[in-house]
Formats: sequence, structure tokens, C-alpha cells
Amino acid sequence: MPSMIQTVGLKKSFGDTEVIKGIDAQVEKGQVIVVIGPSGGGKSTFLRMLNMLEQPTAGSVFFEGEDITHLPTNKLDTVREKMGMVFQSFNLFPNMNVLANVTLAPQRVKKTGAAAANEQGQQLLEQVGLADKADAFPASLSGGQQQRVAIARALAMDPDVMLFDEPTSALDPEMVGEVLKVMQALAKAGMTMVVVTHEMGFARQVADQVWFMDGGVLAEKGTPEQIFDHPKNERTKSFLAKVLVQ
Amino acid sequence: MKGKHWLVKLLIWCSMLITLTTAISISQTQNVQAAANDNSLAAIKKKGTIVMGTSPDYPPYEFLVNNKPVGMDIAIGKQIAKDLGVKLVVKQMDFDALLVGLETHKIDMVLSAMSPTPERKQSVDFSEPYYFSGQSIIINKADKEIYKNYKSFYNKKVGAQTGSLQYDLVKKQIKGAKLTGLTKVTDLIIALKTHKIDGLVAESAVATAYVKNNPDLVVINGGFDLTDTGDGTAIAFAKNSTSLVTAVNKTITKIKQQKLTTKYLADAGKSLKVNVADTSMWSYRSYFIKGIGYTLLISLVGVVLGVLLGTLLALCRLGSIAPLKWLATGYVEFIRGTPLMIQVMFLYFGLNIPALTAGMVGVAMNSGAYVAEYIRGGIDSVAKGQTEAARSLGLSSKDTLRYVIMPQALKIIWPSLGNEFISLIKESSIVSVIGVTDIIYQLRLVQAATYKGIAPYAVAMVIYFVLVFGLTRLLNFAERKMQHA
Ligand SMILES: Nc1ncnc2c1ncn2[C@@H]1O[C@H](COP(=O)(O)OP(=O)(O)OP(=O)(O)O)[C@@H](O)[C@H]1O
Ligand SMILES: [Mg+2]
Repeated sequence: MPSMIQTVGLKKSFGDTEVIKGIDAQVEKGQVIVVIGPSGGGKSTFLRMLNMLEQPTAGSVFFEGEDITHLPTNKLDTVREKMGMVFQSFNLFPNMNVLANVTLAPQRVKKTGAAAANEQGQQLLEQVGLADKADAFPASLSGGQQQRVAIARALAMDPDVMLFDEPTSALDPEMVGEVLKVMQALAKAGMTMVVVTHEMGFARQVADQVWFMDGGVLAEKGTPEQIFDHPKNERTKSFLAKVLVQ
Repeated sequence: MKGKHWLVKLLIWCSMLITLTTAISISQTQNVQAAANDNSLAAIKKKGTIVMGTSPDYPPYEFLVNNKPVGMDIAIGKQIAKDLGVKLVVKQMDFDALLVGLETHKIDMVLSAMSPTPERKQSVDFSEPYYFSGQSIIINKADKEIYKNYKSFYNKKVGAQTGSLQYDLVKKQIKGAKLTGLTKVTDLIIALKTHKIDGLVAESAVATAYVKNNPDLVVINGGFDLTDTGDGTAIAFAKNSTSLVTAVNKTITKIKQQKLTTKYLADAGKSLKVNVADTSMWSYRSYFIKGIGYTLLISLVGVVLGVLLGTLLALCRLGSIAPLKWLATGYVEFIRGTPLMIQVMFLYFGLNIPALTAGMVGVAMNSGAYVAEYIRGGIDSVAKGQTEAARSLGLSSKDTLRYVIMPQALKIIWPSLGNEFISLIKESSIVSVIGVTDIIYQLRLVQAATYKGIAPYAVAMVIYFVLVFGLTRLLNFAERKMQHA
């Protein structure tokens, strides 16, 4: 069986600066990968290349065995349905209410009927603990609530994998927990996840693998124990020394 | 005779030039055919109508009574049609647009107190002159003792219509005169009454008509040397209309022999009394109301079509199809880089469509280019993360635009669209040059009919202000409602 996601020699340059310098990695079905590393190391760029929000300069991305690097846009749309993404800044659609945010894509892309989509939407909102906010507009929600809606919105497409780019970095500290809890439940339910985060506690608890990314390469990969308790790479050590001190 | 503002003239010629060089138009082939074989008279007879172009703001030659053109030129036009055995159709246009109208065959002849200057003769054919009128000077009654003839105006301030015969007379014969040129006689009368000029040189028939209706003014004989000026008024035809000109000349000879112009002028004088019996602006309200209707119609159609066109252009510019992108960018840049006036004239004369349609289409095409930029700006200002979130869900670029980006962009650009509509109300006044009866056009008619210069301006100003102010309030209100939604 092919890996859920596989990258081969993946590279990305912005102008003359190469920010991803060749990454070979696999994400297997059901795995939770947590990507950590210093700011500017290329974590977001890497994650965004997985669903082609960022076009790689070289190398390939395979999704469920299919090379998606040079797909025409309509085929790419079909691939993206199966790769949910959650952003640091939530990116809810401010022009529609919470339920409409969740049901837009199933209705437009999967052609789900309005009634079925609403029912599924309500269920997902319940799952993230926001059943009572269906009619609210995003602007009236707290950051933590918005991010949970964003997760429900991505889940509505019934994706095979979920990509998270620092989902809690923009939140007030007291709201981080509620979002992590939803993600934890998701992992427990067997969702394949790639999570970029600075939440080391979450990484240690939930991750199957932790990838340390620095200077555009995966400097070290391993289980949480290997990375956090016995890091081999000098850069991993100094990064962890800095973040774990806090 | 009537003048031509040089700028307007330049614009007309530019639009003519573009017409001729770009569109290998029907009218051009017609020209070629006409040169080879003059069937101008036969064509009129076959058609059964003769279309006369005139600018009815010049009593006693042509002016409006109860919104119908009357005056000496109309009477002559009727006589010509009768003698040719066809029906007369009178088409109102701005004076500056008349000759282009001939060349593009929108009209068959121009009867609009036009003098056959050598310059005009190069582009059109003229009949024999049908009327000779002396050149007079209008002065304030109080100055009656000071000014006797043109020589009294040496080193004084003198007014005349820009580019007119009188304008040349002042330049050549009144030594040291400080010349003020304006396009409309009504404006010159205002200048005279407010002592911005000491005298106003005008054709005698016109001068007499104005003075009759302005008790503070008197007219004196100019005493100019008129030996080598193109004095007299004649009828203009498209070039190479020899057979038609010959036929019309017969009517003119008859008119001259029977001294019919005297009768025509007397009739015109009577018609004028109808107009000046009650010159209160209130009694001309129907003129202004008509003007408001057309101004609003043009602005509204302009902004609605403009938004549709603008959206299309903005999408082309933001899209990924290179040729469409270039085309849309080229269009926007071109329209924004040329004056609305020439665009409207080009549409009207170049493409042979009716004036109102040309006005609306012109304003819409122009507005579309500006709206495209507002929309592009609006779309650009929606955060990039919105597109990314939508696309990451598998939404197509079309659905992303329709459900996510446009609703947000529209909320941002709504105030600009409102402002565009409001500025169109003011800018659409340009369409009066092709004879669309908007507020400005109607204002000119009221000025000509009532001999009042300032009052119609004041009324028009108040109308524009009320429209713009009222709409601004209304839009602000709607905007507040939208923000709360
Ligand atoms: N669109 C872009 N154009 C130019 N340079 C970019 C662009 N996006 C990212 N970069 C650069 O690429 C490098 C990697 O950026 P990236 O956002 O992937 O890092 P990161 O590891 O996610 O950092 P952070 O923890 O701050 O989010 C940075 O130096 C950044 O400035
Ligand atoms: Mg990042």
C-alpha cells in the first residue's frame, strides 16, 4: 500500500533564496506527524507544498500514490478535498455564518444536498463543541471558537489527512487547550495528521513521529522520546534547550 | 455666426480621424461612391425625407418654443423640403457636432446660421447664402453716449463667440481690443451686463433679438469693413452633393426674390414673444424635469452596465488567460487615458448609433474601466488567506470567487460604486455635445428661449446639488445598514 503522503527531493526557492533544500519524507495512514523547528526554518512552506498551495521548484509530492505535483487545477481540486487544512489565522469566511462556513464546500464540491449538508454540519459543530454557534458570524466568536469551526469546516469534506499550520499560535493562552483537545480527539479517532506546532506537550503526547526542521531540511526525525529525550543533532538540542526552558 | 471652440473642434477631428483610420466604415465607401457618381438628390427623393441638423439655441434663426424647434432656418428647411417634394425631419445637435453629422450621413443638411467660411468649405459643400445680416455691437444702455461704432472700442474690452466671424472681425479691425471669447452668446450677454466686457459683437439679427428682450441693452451698427469676410449664412451639405445643392439653390433664389426671410424673421419674432411672455424658471420646469430624467437615466444605466463590464474586466485582469488579461488591461488603460467626450463622440459619429444609445454606452464603457479598477482593488484587498482556505477545501477558483471573495470585495467597494454613480451624474453632462437632452442641454435651451443667462445656471446648479447631495445621503444610509448587516 502506498504512503498517504510521500515527498521526493522536494525543493522550493523564493527568487534566489532556497528555503526548502530537498526533503524526502513519508506520512503513513493513521500517523500523526508533528513538525517542530525554529522560525523561518521552512515548516509552513513545506506543509503548504503538500497540498500545492505552494508550487515546488523541484521534486515531487505523491498523495495516496499519485504524483500531484503537476496536476491540472480541476484534478488538483479533487485531491485538495481529501487534504483538510487548518491555518494559524483561522481564515473563516466572514461573509457567512458558522454553519454556512462548514457546509459551503460539501454543497459546492461534493454536491451534497442542503439538508444533508446542514445535518452533517451540525454534527461536526457538536463534535468541536460549538453546536449552539451555528447561526453566529465568525466575527462574534473568540479565537479558540473560530479555530474549532475551521477544523469542523475542514472535516466536512471527510478528508483522508489533515494539515495544521500552527493552529494555536494566534490564540490567547487560555484558548489553546480547547483546540488541542479537539485535535487530540481527532488523532485518537485515527485521523492522519501533519501538525506544525510549538506545543511540545502536544507533540510528546500525541505524535507518532516528530520531525525537526531547520534551514530547509529535516534535520532529525524520530519518536517523541527519541527527539525530546535523546536528540542526536546539535541543532535539535539547542532548539529544544531554548523552547523547553520557557 | 456661431463659433466653434477649438478644443471641441480638435476632439471632433480626432474622433473623425479615428473613425476614418480604424473603421473602414460604410460611410467611407459611401463617400467614394458619391465622388464617382453624385446621386445625392436622387437619394433624398428615394428616401422621401430630408434630415436637417440644427442647434436650436440661436434665436431668431432657431430656437425652441414648447420644446419644438422654430425660427427662420426651420421655415427655410420646410420650404426646401416642400420644393423637393419630401418630408422634413429636424434633428437637434450641438453646433460643434453638425459638420461631423454631415460627414457621417446622420443628417443631410445643416441649417444652423452657419457661415460658409473657406475653412468649412474644405470639408463640406455650401449652398448660396440665403441671408445677409450686418454686424452689430451690443452695449449697455448706460454707455450709449460713449460708443458709436467699432472705432470707439479701440483698446477696450470686447466679446465675441470663439472662432466666429465676429471674433476675427474684432481681432483684425478693432485696434488694441482686449478680446474675450466665449462659446455661447448667452454667456457673453452675462459678461456684458456684469461689465466684464464693454461691447459684444454679434450678427445684427441676433443682436436685435437679444436687445429686444433685455431693456438695459442697446444695439449699435458695427460699421465694420465686410468686403472680404465670408459674410452671410448658407446651408451645408456633405461633399460632392452637387445635384442636391443645385436643387436647393433654386429654393434659395425664390426665397430671396420674394423676400421671404423678412416674413420668416417676423414670424420668429412672434414665436419669441411666446417664450419671453413668462421667463420665470418655474414656467420652464418641464425643460429641467426632462433634463433630470435623462441625466439620471444615463448615470444609472452607465453605472449598472459599468459594474457588469467592470466585473468582467477585473476578472479578466486577475485571471490567468494571458490574451484576455492584455485585452482587459489595454481597454482599461485606453479608456482611462482618453476623455469621455471623445469616446462619446467616437461612438456616436463613428459607429452610427442613436445619440441616447451612444451616450449611455459611452458613459457605461467609460465607467466600466473605472469600476474595473475598484473591483480589482476590492478583490486584492480581501485577505489572501481567504482564497487559500477556500482552495484547500477543494473549491474551484470560480466558486471561491463567487461565494467567498466577491461578497467580501463588494462590501469593500460598495462606497466607491456609490461615488462612481454620483460622479457620473456630474460627468454625464458631456453627452449634451451629441444632443442628448440632459440637464446641461436643457439649460442651454432655456437660456436661449428666455434670454436669461444666469438664472438657468443657478437652477441647474441647485438641481445638480440636490441630486448629488440627496443621493450621497441615501448611499450613506444604505452603507450604514449594510455595515450593520
Ligand atoms: N511567499 C514568500 N516569498 C518569499 N519568501 C518567503 C515566502 N514565504 C516564505 N518565505 C521565506 O521562506 C523561509 C521559510 O518560511 P516559512 O514560513 O516556511 O518558515 P516557518 O518555519 O513556517 O517559520 P514560522 O515558524 O515563523 O512560521 C523564510 O525565510 C521566509 O521569509
Ligand atoms: Mg510558519
